[in-house]
Amino acid sequence: MRYFVKRVVHAAVTLVSVTTITFALFRLMPGNPAQAMRAQFEADMEAGGGTADPEVLDAMVEQHIGFNPDQPWYIQYVEYLRDIILYQDFGQSYFYNEAVFDILFTAMPWSIFISVYGLALGYTTNILLGAAMAYKEGSRFDNYATVLATFLNSVPYYVGAILFLAFFGYELGLFPTGGRYNTDLQTGLNVRFMASISYHAVLPVMSSFIVGFGGGALSMRGNSIRILGEDYLRVARLRGISSTRIATRYVARNAILPLYTQMMIGIATVFSSSVLLEFIFTYPGVGWYTYDAVMRRDYPLLMGSFLFFTIVTLIGILIAEFTYGLVDPRIGSGDHSESY
Amino acid sequence: MTRTETELEITRDDSSSHDVILEVRDVDVTFDMERGTSRVLDGVRFDVHRDEMLGIVGESGSGKSMFASALLNAVVDPGQTSGEIIYHPPDGEPVDVLSLSEFQLERFRWEEISMVFQGAMSSFNPTMKIGEHFEETIRAHGEDIEERMEHGWQLLADLYLDPGRVFDSYPHELSGGMKQRTLIALSLILEPKVLVMDEPTAALDLLMQRSIMSLLGNLQEEYDLTIVFITHDLPLVAGLADRLAVMYAFEFVEYGPSEQVIRDATHPYTRALLKSVPSVDASLEDMHPIEGESPDPVNAPSGCSYHPRCPLATVECVQADPDYHEVSEERGAACFHWEQSGDEIEYALGVDPDEFPESTAAFESEEETVVSLDDVDVHFEQAGLIDELFGKESVVRAVNDVSIELRENEVVALVGESGCGKTTLGKTVIGLQEPTDGSVSYRDQDIWEAKAGGGDYEFDDIRRALQIVHQDPGSSLNSSRTVRASLSAPLKRWRPDLGPSDRETVIYNLLKRVGMKPPEDYAARFPHQLSGGEKQRVVLVRALLMSPDLILADEAVSALDVSLRVEMMDLMLDLQELFDTSYLFISHDFSNARYLTEKSDGRIGIMYLGNLVEIGPAQEIISDPKHPYTKVLRWATPPLDPDEAKEANATDPPIREIDIPDPTDPPSGCPFQTRCPDAREVCTREVPELQCTEGAARVACFREDDDHEYWASEPIESDTVSLETESEAD
Repeated sequence: MRYFVKRVVHAAVTLVSVTTITFALFRLMPGNPAQAMRAQFEADMEAGGGTADPEVLDAMVEQHIGFNPDQPWYIQYVEYLRDIILYQDFGQSYFYNEAVFDILFTAMPWSIFISVYGLALGYTTNILLGAAMAYKEGSRFDNYATVLATFLNSVPYYVGAILFLAFFGYELGLFPTGGRYNTDLQTGLNVRFMASISYHAVLPVMSSFIVGFGGGALSMRGNSIRILGEDYLRVARLRGISSTRIATRYVARNAILPLYTQMMIGIATVFSSSVLLEFIFTYPGVGWYTYDAVMRRDYPLLMGSFLFFTIVTLIGILIAEFTYGLVDPRIGSGDHSESY
Repeated sequence: MTRTETELEITRDDSSSHDVILEVRDVDVTFDMERGTSRVLDGVRFDVHRDEMLGIVGESGSGKSMFASALLNAVVDPGQTSGEIIYHPPDGEPVDVLSLSEFQLERFRWEEISMVFQGAMSSFNPTMKIGEHFEETIRAHGEDIEERMEHGWQLLADLYLDPGRVFDSYPHELSGGMKQRTLIALSLILEPKVLVMDEPTAALDLLMQRSIMSLLGNLQEEYDLTIVFITHDLPLVAGLADRLAVMYAFEFVEYGPSEQVIRDATHPYTRALLKSVPSVDASLEDMHPIEGESPDPVNAPSGCSYHPRCPLATVECVQADPDYHEVSEERGAACFHWEQSGDEIEYALGVDPDEFPESTAAFESEEETVVSLDDVDVHFEQAGLIDELFGKESVVRAVNDVSIELRENEVVALVGESGCGKTTLGKTVIGLQEPTDGSVSYRDQDIWEAKAGGGDYEFDDIRRALQIVHQDPGSSLNSSRTVRASLSAPLKRWRPDLGPSDRETVIYNLLKRVGMKPPEDYAARFPHQLSGGEKQRVVLVRALLMSPDLILADEAVSALDVSLRVEMMDLMLDLQELFDTSYLFISHDFSNARYLTEKSDGRIGIMYLGNLVEIGPAQEIISDPKHPYTKVLRWATPPLDPDEAKEANATDPPIREIDIPDPTDPPSGCPFQTRCPDAREVCTREVPELQCTEGAARVACFREDDDHEYWASEPIESDTVSLETESEAD
């Protein structure tokens, strides 16, 4: 129990620090976005022939970045934290003129949909391929698969995504080149709509699959080979335990353990990669909005998605920590050792 | 191995006088390696009798583990096994284990012959409960689950374990000793006829080893088992096994009833081995290492494989491989000269206990004190910030109020079970571990004060004067530096006046001195090109090059082969005279501690749960232990002499509980009171101090004080355990 409390406290500390850093980056740096923006507006207005009324300027800047620049920084900071924690108010997107929270909240399921499928697919393939490589250690299959895994591991996912798009989307025309679903269809729980969603998701999922693929297969291979040399495996064979049970209950079970944490932390990689992936596939998820926010200097939205990625990563790591005890009994409540 | 038909007949006839359960005939195990074929079992011919306990003794690399694997036809790939191993079931036709199909083998193993491996720690799947291991085994052999599980329940209870709790535990929740006993139960779950045990107790504490050995005896009687017990530790099996077989260089060199083999060994190797094994009762003058090295399995010497090391070797031995010569009806020795061996290589078992001289000289030594500890505590906090918030305190008292003085040219050995704090105390002595309370002084200068910048001695000088030799020589040498580079480092640092050629001379001289000849050759080698004993010598030399006043030798000989230990300890004592240094020798093994200290008139200190419970001259501690815990340790160290061993086996351990209490929650009063057979009510309240006794030793026990209220106190009511009871260890 103490362990859980400790972990949650760690996560909370991390979250607050990230929020603080975000805040500091936007507010306290000399020549920060707020000042830059103010200067920009002033120049714009003067160029337009009007006079820059400081109050109007302040109001405009506040609308853009969500703060009142006249208040001392610590009050801004407290208000900023208060809004986020108490009201889930991340501010107002100035471009969409909508609450940042609402924008991200509607976009989130789409990103999760793409990422989770990509991740699940990637890791399943990794585990199966890695185990197969370990069983056939030193064979021709093992050698080729190692080369393939190393190759895929070193191809950046966005290169893969662009190649997918160019080849399957434009060259062959097999898959749509953008969007989340066919907008002509009636939305809701009908078969054609669902099919359209899956159809549109194929390329992004495939690209996101590449993110999680490769390295995992190689470490699964290494883990399995190590387990195959363990004493308990030899004893189990002598006891006459069937080879399927040995493969699943003994080798796979123990070899997956170190991969588990890696996978949970991998969630963060997949989400952060979604920024480029969703942009490439014009797939309006959180990543797409983030990219959009950068391009349009929509600071509230940008800060919102930054926090969103942090929270997702923290939740992923927390889930990994809390469920690790279930997966590996040796960790137990984590009170004694954390050797994994 | 050459032999004629008639000889084969003789052995067959000979063995027929006994009910034979396993006949091993001409078994070879070979591995194809890049540099040739490695023959790790070489034409082994042997019979195992029904219902006997057979002890197989050999040094590491003698092929004894291969023999165990071959009995189950379980030699790991790419090993090739050839020959015949005939198993005679109680009823039914004999079968050749080596020609069974894979499917038949799956039935045969565990149902007829099962095995307990060396590493009990890693013999269970860490992600599966113990109960599941039992169930899956039963299911895999298609037996009735309920009936068998009940048998398993009974077995665990026989081994003094709580079956319900054990079945419901994960492997990591059991202590080493518990795991080992559970593994024994798991191997007996299908009621096999033969149990092969490969070094089952090697990783355990002495006390646990002895307890498991006694339990094995009980199990054997109860379930009509044939036990093949393989070990490197001759005294451990000597008292318990019915027959002994000695392995050397991939074959048996001698076998026979254990008492006869120990008393009057005929093979020169057995005799040499008996002389080289440190034990608590053999006389020191008789202990000698075996010269030379075990042969390489790739090119074993022609003829008798022992001839390069044998003092009796003749031309005949080089040319022909000797066959077993019948010593008596049940004994054989593979040696041409077995009749002369008795006169040529002498050894004696046991010394009369009253023979030892009244020497207290060492204790009253006038030598100057090098390091002294004054009321030293070392406590480790295990709790973090959060724990403190929750008000839970868990402090491990690794060292508790210990005072000790180490004089010049003195050897002090610290003995105790694992986790008793002996290593922590050792590190405190040489200034590696800062005490949480009390002071550590080097020549009357507080070490930690010196580190802070005060005092007469520079901290660097103190650091140089106090050196350490670790248990594992392999990991304390940099694997990418040559011996020369490793040994030059301390010289460059502490003797900047020496030039490169002077350094070389110093190093060569020392290497020669420790028997590594030619030194030029050895100096150029990397650690992986050295044997374990050679590595340990290099480490020792490196420590000595700093000309230290004190060397902490932490289990320095435990990782070495039995026959090398005496040699290493002799070398340590030899170099002590040369370099004028003291040793603090840490060991869990009474026999090693005894050898080193008794030979140098040193002292032995006994540690228990962070407390020094007894300290005194070696001879007095060994022959007249006073503290009840010292008596227990003494009981757990088996004597070599067959009569004494038998006597020791017959007595129950003088202890009430086998497991050490949780160090974060030590018992009140005397730390040993929970296990002490003589504990009385006052022991649970008061902590005994070290006090003087009639001899030269000092003991922390109320029983030494005739006037203490102990004698009027009520004895603690408890069941006297026949062997042990379980405690809440985890």
